[in-house]
Amino acid sequence: MVLDFAQVVADNQSLVFSLALRFLRDREGAEELAQDVFLQLFRKLREIESPAHATWWLRRAICHRCIDEARKRRLRPRIGLEAVPEPAGESPDADPLLNERLRRLIGELPENARIVVLLRYQEDLDPSDIAGMLNMPVSTVKSHLHRSLAVLRGRLVKQEICR
Amino acid sequence: MNLEDDLRRALRREPAPPDFAARVLANTRVLPFWRRPIALPLAAILTVTALVPSAIYQYHRQQRAFEARDQLIAALSITRTQLQQAKEKLRETTRQKR
Repeated sequence: MVLDFAQVVADNQSLVFSLALRFLRDREGAEELAQDVFLQLFRKLREIESPAHATWWLRRAICHRCIDEARKRRLRPRIGLEAVPEPAGESPDADPLLNERLRRLIGELPENARIVVLLRYQEDLDPSDIAGMLNMPVSTVKSHLHRSLAVLRGRLVKQEICR
Repeated sequence: MNLEDDLRRALRREPAPPDFAARVLANTRVLPFWRRPIALPLAAILTVTALVPSAIYQYHRQQRAFEARDQLIAALSITRTQLQQAKEKLRETTRQKR
């Protein structure tokens, strides 16, 4: 039984787009990559067994594509549009400046660490799920998380001091 | 400061642009036929449909070849019998003349 592709897109578009956006920090690039990943899924739709399988597949695909894209950009730097700061739709107790700073700092992490942080804190995945998704040992995932948090903490404190 | 909570807040999913889904679906319609999910099963059906008559034709050709071979063998065996009979007659005639 082939899934309803339009429904798959509706259910997963913000997951895919958001991961790409947070990773690349480039709205145009994120849209392009997200579109591509959905088209990839469309070509393989017969192999997808359930909505949960589709979500898993899309998450995995966008992660790998983001990492590949980041490596390409290191070799061929491109001028992309920076992610626009959040519009005023955030919850009233949010700190938009802190949010933007954190996103910027995450964008400076090495690629593997960056995707691990995104999967943990945007997608709320466990280290073991992240390890399976990225073909990485669980210990490596935990190490990325631990080090990334330390780096982020350190840089936030440094930025506070410099203000 | 609880960094992990801050990270969860900062990394709440960003909604996709309003026309994103429509553009994805529009792009699937311009995919070349061979890239669509139906292409492979359809190609398999067409291949089988094309191969079956050819297989039947080959089978009949092979059957005709076997029949021809059998007829040739039969003809050769008749010829051999006739030759042997001729040889026998010739031997007899030669014996009688001595």
